[in-house]
Amino acid sequence: MATRIGVDIGGTFTDLVYFDEAQGRSFVGKVPTVPDAPEEGVIDAITRHVPRSVIGDARFFLHGTTVGLNALLERRGAKIGLIATEGFRDVLEIRRGDRAEMYNLFWRQTRPLVPRRLRLEVGGRIMADGSERTPVDPRSVEAAARTFMEEGVDSVAVSLINAYANPAHELEVERLMREAGFKGGISLSHRISREYREYERTSTTAIDAFVRARMSSYLRRLEGRLQALGFAGTCLITRSGSGSMSFAEAEDRPFETIMSGPVGGAQGAGEIAKALDIDTLITADVGGTSFDTALILNGQPQVLYEGMIDNMPIQTSWVDVRSIGSGGGSIAHVDVGKLMRVGPKSAGASPGPAAYGKGGVVPTTTDAAAYLGMLGPGDLASGIHLDLGKAEAAIAPVAEAIGKDIEHTASGIMRISSAAMANAIREISVDQGLDPRGMTLLPFGGAGPLMACLLADELAMRRIVVPPFAGNFSAWGLLGADMVQSAALTRIMDFVPASVPAIDAVVGELFETIEARNTAHATDAIRTVNLDLRYKGQEHWLTVEVELDGMAIAEPIEAIRARFVDEYTQTFGKTMNESVELVSVRASTTLPLPRRDIGERPQPVASTPREPLEAHSFSLKRRVPFRIVEREAIAEPVAGPAIVIEATTTTYLDAGWTARIGAIGEMILERD
Amino acid sequence: MTLKEPVVHKAGRFDRGAAGEVDPITTEVVRHALNSAANQMKRALVRTAFSPIIYEVLDFAVAIYDDKVRLLAQAPSLPLFMGTLNFCIAEAVRNAGGPEALEPGDALIYNWPFGTGSHPQDVAIIMPVFHDDDELIGYTAIKGHWLDIAAKDPYCTDTTDVFQEGTIFPGVKIYKRGELNDDIFRMVLANSRVPDMVRGDLDAQVTGCRVGARGFREVVERFGLETCRSAVENMFDHGEAVVRSYFDKIPDGRYVGHGEMDDDGISDASIPFEVALEISGSDVRIDFSAAPEARQGPVNSPLPSTISASRVAITMLAGYGEAPHEGHFRPIEVVTRPGSMFDPLPPAPSFLYAWPALQAIEVIYNAIAKALPEAVPAQSGGCIGSVVWWGTREATGEAWADGAPHPMGQGAWHDGDGGTMLHISESATRFTPVEVWEQRNPWLVERMALATDSGGAGRHRGGAGIDFEFRMLEDTYITSIFERSKNAPWGLEGGRQGRPNNAIVIMPDGTEHRVAKATRFLVPKDGVVRLMTGGGGGYGAPSERPVERVRSDLDDGYVSDAFARTHYPHAFD
Repeated sequence: MATRIGVDIGGTFTDLVYFDEAQGRSFVGKVPTVPDAPEEGVIDAITRHVPRSVIGDARFFLHGTTVGLNALLERRGAKIGLIATEGFRDVLEIRRGDRAEMYNLFWRQTRPLVPRRLRLEVGGRIMADGSERTPVDPRSVEAAARTFMEEGVDSVAVSLINAYANPAHELEVERLMREAGFKGGISLSHRISREYREYERTSTTAIDAFVRARMSSYLRRLEGRLQALGFAGTCLITRSGSGSMSFAEAEDRPFETIMSGPVGGAQGAGEIAKALDIDTLITADVGGTSFDTALILNGQPQVLYEGMIDNMPIQTSWVDVRSIGSGGGSIAHVDVGKLMRVGPKSAGASPGPAAYGKGGVVPTTTDAAAYLGMLGPGDLASGIHLDLGKAEAAIAPVAEAIGKDIEHTASGIMRISSAAMANAIREISVDQGLDPRGMTLLPFGGAGPLMACLLADELAMRRIVVPPFAGNFSAWGLLGADMVQSAALTRIMDFVPASVPAIDAVVGELFETIEARNTAHATDAIRTVNLDLRYKGQEHWLTVEVELDGMAIAEPIEAIRARFVDEYTQTFGKTMNESVELVSVRASTTLPLPRRDIGERPQPVASTPREPLEAHSFSLKRRVPFRIVEREAIAEPVAGPAIVIEATTTTYLDAGWTARIGAIGEMILERD
Repeated sequence: MTLKEPVVHKAGRFDRGAAGEVDPITTEVVRHALNSAANQMKRALVRTAFSPIIYEVLDFAVAIYDDKVRLLAQAPSLPLFMGTLNFCIAEAVRNAGGPEALEPGDALIYNWPFGTGSHPQDVAIIMPVFHDDDELIGYTAIKGHWLDIAAKDPYCTDTTDVFQEGTIFPGVKIYKRGELNDDIFRMVLANSRVPDMVRGDLDAQVTGCRVGARGFREVVERFGLETCRSAVENMFDHGEAVVRSYFDKIPDGRYVGHGEMDDDGISDASIPFEVALEISGSDVRIDFSAAPEARQGPVNSPLPSTISASRVAITMLAGYGEAPHEGHFRPIEVVTRPGSMFDPLPPAPSFLYAWPALQAIEVIYNAIAKALPEAVPAQSGGCIGSVVWWGTREATGEAWADGAPHPMGQGAWHDGDGGTMLHISESATRFTPVEVWEQRNPWLVERMALATDSGGAGRHRGGAGIDFEFRMLEDTYITSIFERSKNAPWGLEGGRQGRPNNAIVIMPDGTEHRVAKATRFLVPKDGVVRLMTGGGGGYGAPSERPVERVRSDLDDGYVSDAFARTHYPHAFD
């Protein structure tokens, strides 16, 4: 239950949540993000909202940031070079030959992070089974090192064919580079990933080399500033694959943080699911420009092992959060065929929705919600007052183009947005062979609780839980991030009892790799192993967790195989296939943070009743009076139609839904 | 075989259902839901398929049709396949006794080339979808490429009639009321050189069709059948309007594009052909009636494939990046002469149907360029560059097979250089990583590099082709098809040609054999297969290329000094 501070940097706001052990409760704060110097926003949030004594007492600082991601997206990283196996310097440019937009004749491939002149080749070849065919040619490495030094290259990615199977040549290249006098950073692909697929691994290694210096200097600056404020605890940053790692570990493996943006929310959802004993939970995080959804099964977010950023693949674990370009700022327009569309273009933070009165003139989802009365009386947390006249004026041209009135058009904008979001939810559940109807929806983010009833109706879901701190939920989720390290190795073999010694050997090797990174993970950590299994002949695999005894598999192969078959059948249906093979072994260690109390149901506070407001009911298909209720004042169940307001978000409770406060202060919405 | 009189085909079905009043918002919501169901279908297929041709190369199409066999939604997959599924459904259902003969839980298997538009390896699974278990509301269908279904060779460039090309399943029930029809199933397995893969892929196709059927049923249950039907009519009208608005911009007239096939696989004679594009208002007529007679060898494109190529060419240009449905096809008419290379009649061979069809897509663009050059890119390498490999593993005696297309240079266009990708007819396909190949197959990839000077010069230069070298570690048979090896990719507006495709085998003794089109060619252990994929054509006069771009291309080795001095002398003044 140690005191801790969580800060999550988003595109528009930097959100803060801290837990104070002395008072046994959590507090929130919000400041504008400082894009050029994100650490300034972090320090600003802490100095404004956290008392000095709490800063001094805090044992952990947990951080969610997109610094690495932004460096990558904006191409503000190091000048990097690439060393490839002779004959393969173009792997980054040839890619896999596909187009991200298949119906676009003029699609442009992403420009590689390394220009061709700095992609150099070295002689030497490892085979797929790890054996050496030809040794490294030292002269080719020396020549490459000279070129990189002449060109002023900061950092070099080394990615050789089949290095996943045997890293000896990459290690030899590193040694020769140093011998030749190269002093910059060197990222070896096998240290980044021991999984096969050379384009994906090379891309990941190049990303690592590219963001390493920037991440490292950012983390050092931030840690220095925190210490100056009197913080003496451990600094942690979220990992893309959930959990957290120390700043030192992140400096060493920066690519593991790149996709961590939505992790805080998914992780917090896992904690809520465990606290409330909810088996299957779907998150709905609606921000200004995007909608993120994740599936939480038995309190665990789902993890995938290959992601994509700006059309560059990255071989790292990441929490499966599907994102679509649909949010509060999504723009409604009429296309060439005269049909109304919403998004994917967004009005963004500036000018933002027309109703914000900051110069926006095109209609957005927020304008539609504001016009329909769904946002309540019109004062938002961020101090913005909604201008309904501007919202109406922005919607009018679209309404005219489709020949409908403004009310109909505005409700249409909401329905189209929620249909797109509902499809993302449907696909992420159906991918696991699950039906969303029986699940609980967990909306958060600035506009999640606004969309929740529409989404649930669209998906025929009956139960919604609006968590505590819904508007700052991603930052709240950070506070529960245990420290995690992981490693994986591709080693294809038949999944039969005779393979057990070979698998155990891989498991041991992986844990040694992890523990060499941080000795704390050798002593106190909880170890887990997952195996990627597939039917022999198939390419795609399912990941199955196995029981461990120390560093060895503790259960019979048949039992693991049976679990794989069950899971496969649930996801894809029955199959006619028999032989199962192992693709990769995935090991991870977790050092749990001290548990925190999520809290208890707060006592309702008194409030003065407010005038009801006319708003659009989607279930009744017309305007009706909506009660305006403050969330912290709810004592008895509230029957819709009502608008529930709180500091950082607004919940739209349609007719037919009832809201009540649950055991830990969550708000439960149920359909009658 | 003699040519018959030209026939005009409507590329999209116009017959309408009872279009009740439904608002544009519900239309958009239904459109989203149908596309989502098609995407779920695709994911189920890809994740359960056994052959890399399906899960890696995406050599399949998945789609949902209504009861009138009009395309409702399809997931991104193989464009050339996507426009053929309606023919598969119509023919298979007719052969099986019509819609009345179908029951819930049935699945048909169909691969007659003149109905699928493909070779027999491309097998369609068709599942009727029922509302409330009694009303037929449509079909889900997946056509996928099977590695082998008993042609004379695992892949052929030299067949002379359709019966050498594989076993035919003319629309028979592989599942009957949800039960596997074991008699048919055993026939399928008995007719393949790789029965395990075929079994896995058949299973995956059925799984995909079921997932799609479930998704489709749910859409109908959610919105109600009448609302759904009305929304679909509106959706079609909208797609039609989108495509028409594009062709309104292109001046009326008749524009002729020229293509040429290297040969027919049997003899060496090249086969020039032309396709005319007639634009009148927003109507587009694509006229294949000048096509030569059907060939003796397998380079014939059956009608469904010819119509599909036309649909792909037009919707890629005029569909504004959206997944096409029936409405997008309505402005298009296709004219063919039965008995010609683009409308062959049984028993003409058509194993290489895809090659004339995919070249036709770019020939249509060649025609459009004559009206509006900035509307289209210059030619790409002009082929998918396919190799199919097979053999018997030395250590285990197990049969193995693999196959892949290869990326090549893409044509430059008025606003950019060409990239290096797979042909537009396989625009969603990915080729296999070298490390996966080496894990799976007895070979060593020695080189995969962009070829210097391969892209055509121009204000915007063509994309580079690729040089591949595969060294065989065990005896291996290949069938290879690298079309457009005799003709270089064209440039536009003064842009220069790219390099043409080529493929050779270097035997262990150093002798070389050209294998641009070869069937069952034995590459012995230690032999090398060298593939040289074409570069894209350039766009605009090379003298207009900015000097700094020429310099940069030199520094990066995309062009050699000699090439730059020849084509861009202004950069050396």
